[in-house]
Amino acid sequence: MTEITEQNEVSEKFVPKPSLPPPPNTTGAIGWLRYNLFDGFLSSCLTVLSLIAIGFMCVNFYEWAFAKAVLEAANRQECRITPTEFGTCWAGVKFWFTRFIYGRYTDTEIWRVNSAAIILILWMIPVWLPRVTAKLNIALSGVLIFPFLAGYMFLGGDRNWFMEIMVSVALGCFLTAIIHSLLCLFTGAGISKWIIQLTGFSNRSERLHKFPVIVFAVIIFLLSLFLISDVTFKEMPNNLWGGLFLTLVISGIGIASALPAGILLALGRRSKMTVIRVLCVAFIELFRSVPLITILFMATTMFPLFLPEGFHINKLASAIVAVCLFAAAYMAEVVRGGLQAIPKGQYEAAEAVGLTYWQSMGFIVMPQALKYMIPNIVSNFMGLFKDTTLVSIIGLYDLLGMINAVSQDPSWIGLHHEPLFTAAVIFFIGCFAMSKYSQYLERNLGAGNGR
Amino acid sequence: MSGNTPSSSGGVNAIINDERYRSIFYQVVVFGLFIWAVLSLIENTQINMATRKMAVGFDFLKNTAGFAVAWTPLDYKPSDSYLMVYWVGIINTLILAGISIVLATFLGFIVGILRLSKNWLVAQIASWYVEVLRNTPLLLQIIFWYLGAFANLPRPKQSIEILGFESLVLNNRGLYIPKPQPEDLFWLTAVALLVAVLIAIALNKRAARKQQQTGKYISTLVPTLLIVFGLPSVAFILTGMPLEWELPALKGFNYRGGGFVLPAMLAVMVALVVYHSAYAAEMVRAGILSVSKGQTEAASSLGLKQSFVMRLVIIPQAMRAIVPPMISLWMNVVKNSSLAIAIGFPDLVSVFMQTSLNQSGHAVEIVALVMAFYMTVSLTISACLNVYNKKIQLTER
Repeated sequence: MTEITEQNEVSEKFVPKPSLPPPPNTTGAIGWLRYNLFDGFLSSCLTVLSLIAIGFMCVNFYEWAFAKAVLEAANRQECRITPTEFGTCWAGVKFWFTRFIYGRYTDTEIWRVNSAAIILILWMIPVWLPRVTAKLNIALSGVLIFPFLAGYMFLGGDRNWFMEIMVSVALGCFLTAIIHSLLCLFTGAGISKWIIQLTGFSNRSERLHKFPVIVFAVIIFLLSLFLISDVTFKEMPNNLWGGLFLTLVISGIGIASALPAGILLALGRRSKMTVIRVLCVAFIELFRSVPLITILFMATTMFPLFLPEGFHINKLASAIVAVCLFAAAYMAEVVRGGLQAIPKGQYEAAEAVGLTYWQSMGFIVMPQALKYMIPNIVSNFMGLFKDTTLVSIIGLYDLLGMINAVSQDPSWIGLHHEPLFTAAVIFFIGCFAMSKYSQYLERNLGAGNGR
Repeated sequence: MSGNTPSSSGGVNAIINDERYRSIFYQVVVFGLFIWAVLSLIENTQINMATRKMAVGFDFLKNTAGFAVAWTPLDYKPSDSYLMVYWVGIINTLILAGISIVLATFLGFIVGILRLSKNWLVAQIASWYVEVLRNTPLLLQIIFWYLGAFANLPRPKQSIEILGFESLVLNNRGLYIPKPQPEDLFWLTAVALLVAVLIAIALNKRAARKQQQTGKYISTLVPTLLIVFGLPSVAFILTGMPLEWELPALKGFNYRGGGFVLPAMLAVMVALVVYHSAYAAEMVRAGILSVSKGQTEAASSLGLKQSFVMRLVIIPQAMRAIVPPMISLWMNVVKNSSLAIAIGFPDLVSVFMQTSLNQSGHAVEIVALVMAFYMTVSLTISACLNVYNKKIQLTER
C-alpha cells in the first residue's frame, strides 16, 4: 500500500514544463514596431506617410535654419548668400535679442529689470520648499507688495512719500521672507519663534509674544527705509519698456489682480442678493463675450474720456486696466467652476457650526475649491500670457511689437521670419512649461480623491 | 439662509442682526455706488467730449464713409454711409468666422481621432501638432502665416494654377475662383434642394419611428442620398442648366472677373482653422475617452454589430461631452477673428473700430455698436448651448 501511494504521489506531482518564450516577433524592438507602427496595412501606410512627412520637414528645416544660416552680419544686406537670395539671418536675431527681451530699456539700466526678476524668484522659491512654514503669507506678500518695489525699480525717478513707504515695506517683507525661509531650512523653526527665543520672551506669557515681533518688524522697516534713502534710480518712462519684459509685466499684473477680483465676482455671481448678482453677471458676461482687442480699443479711446478733468492716463496704463478687467471676468468663471465642485453639504455644515458667510467661504469652501481651481488658474495664466500679444495692435512694443519693429528698421528691413521664429520658441517654452506644470498639479492635487 | 426669523423683542438690534434687512441694506449701498459711478462716468465723458468738441449721437452713421474696403461680398462704394461700413464689417467677420468654424471643427475631429490612433508615430505627430499650436499665441501664428506663406506669393503674371486649372489661381493679389452666375430658372433647383431635404428628414423620422415600434432597422442612407442629390440634379437638367461660371482671366497686370479672396483673408483663415483645430482635437479626444470601456463591452454583449456600437452607443455619449465645449470654441473663433486687423483684413474691428473711429471720432458710439454685435453673437450661441444642454439632460434619465 505504502509503495503504491508513494508511486501515485510521485506520478500525480505536477511538474510544469518551462513556458515557451514568446514568439520572436512580439517582444523587444521588433514586437514594439509590429504592434505600434505596422499593425495591419492601414497602420503601415500611415507610418510610411508620417515618416515621409517628418523627413521632408526635417530636411527643409535643416536647410532653412542651418545650411543657409548667416551668423555674422551688420545689416540685412550682408545676410545675402547669393546676390539674389537672402540667407537665414540669425545675425539679426542676435543683434536684436536684447531688444526682444527688454524693449528700448537703456542698456546700462537693464540690471534693474533683472534684479527685480531675481528678487521675485527668490521671494517665491520658499513657497515650493516643503520645510518652510507660513507659505501663504510669503505668497500673498509677494503678490501684493512686490509690485510696488518692482514698479519703482522699473520706473525709477523721484519717490513721493507713499512710494518711499511702500518700497521700504516691500524691501522689509522681502528680507523677512528670506530670513524666515533660511531659518526654516536650517533650524526648522520660523522667524517669530526665533525672535522670541532670542529676546528671552519664551519664558513670559504668550500674550506678550507679539511685542518683540512687532519691534523686529519696525526695525526691519526702518532699516530698509535707511537702505533705500540714498538710492534713486534714473527715470525710465514706460514708453521705453518693451519686449518680453513688458509682456510679463502686463500679464503678471493681469493675473495678480484677476485672482482676487475673480473670487469676488464669482462669489457675487452665486450670491443671493439680486442686485449684486445681476451686476456681477452683467460684468462677467460683457467682458467674456467681446474680444480682447475691442476691450483694448475701448480702453485706449474711451478711458481718457472717462477720467475727470486734469487726469491723464497713458496707453500702457489703459492697456493694463483693460487686461485686468478681461482677466477678472475669465477668472471669475474659473472660480465659479471650483465653487460648484464643492458639495452643498460643505456649505451647510459650515453654516451649521455657526460660521459667518466670510468665515465659511474663507476657511471651508475656498481652500477646497482652490485645489480644483489651480490647474485652471495656471492654464488661464497661460492664455493671458498669449493674449497679451494683442497689445502690439494698439501700438505697445511687447515681444511681438518689437518683432514687428525689427522688420521696419531701415538696416534690417524685411527681416520677419527669424524674429518670428524666435518669439514662437520663447512663447512655446513658456507656455509648454506652464501646461506641463498644470498637468502635474492636476495629477498631484487630485491624489486625495483619486479612485 | 433667510431662515432667521426676526426676534419678537423687536428693537434696533433685531433689525441689525436680521439677515434680510442687512442684505437689503447691502444691496441698496451697492446699487447706490453703482449708480454714482455710472453717473460720474457719464458726466466726465460729457465734459471731456465738450472740451474736445466731439459730437454725440448716432447721426454720424448716415454720413459718407469715404474710404474703400479691400474686400467685401457686398456692393459697397466709398460714397456709402458708415452704417453700410458696419454691415460690411459684420458680413466679413461672419463669413471669415463661419468658414473657419466649419473647417476647424472638421480638422479637429480628424486630429483628435489620430491622437487616439494605435499607431504610435501618428499619435505622437498629432499630439505635437496640438502642443505646438496651443502653446504659441494666435496673433503670432496669423502674422507667421501671412508673412511666411501668403505674402510671398508670385505676381499675377506668374500665378500658381491650383490643380492645373487656368481659372483657379493664386497670386499675391489673392485667390481667384470661378464665380457661379445663376440665371432665370435657377431658383427651381434651389427649391428642389429644399424639398429634397424636407423629404429626406421625413423619411429618416419615419424609419426611426418604425424602429421604435417594431425594432426592425431600416437603412435610410441610400434613399436619403438619392433624394438629396437626385431631385435637385433632375430639376437643374430639366430647366436647362441655368448656371454659368464667370471665370477669372488675366487682363493686363491683374486678373478680372470671377470671385477672389484676399491673401490676408486666406492667412487669417488658415491660422484660425489650424489654431482652433488643436483645441477641437483635445475636446474630441477627451469626449471619446470619457465614454467608459464598459459601454463598448455592454453593447457588444447585447449582440450589436461593431458599426452600431460606434454609431448608437459610443458617439451619442461622446457627443454629450464634446458639444458644449465645442460650441464655446466656436464662440472663441468668432471673437478671435477680430485679430484679422493685425494683417489688414477688413473685418468689423478693422473697418469700423479702427478706420471709421479714426475718421469720425465717435469713440463711444462705435465701441458700443461693435460690442453689441459681439454680445449678440455670443448670447445667441450660448442660448443655443443652453437649449442643447437641456435636451441632453432630459435624455439622461
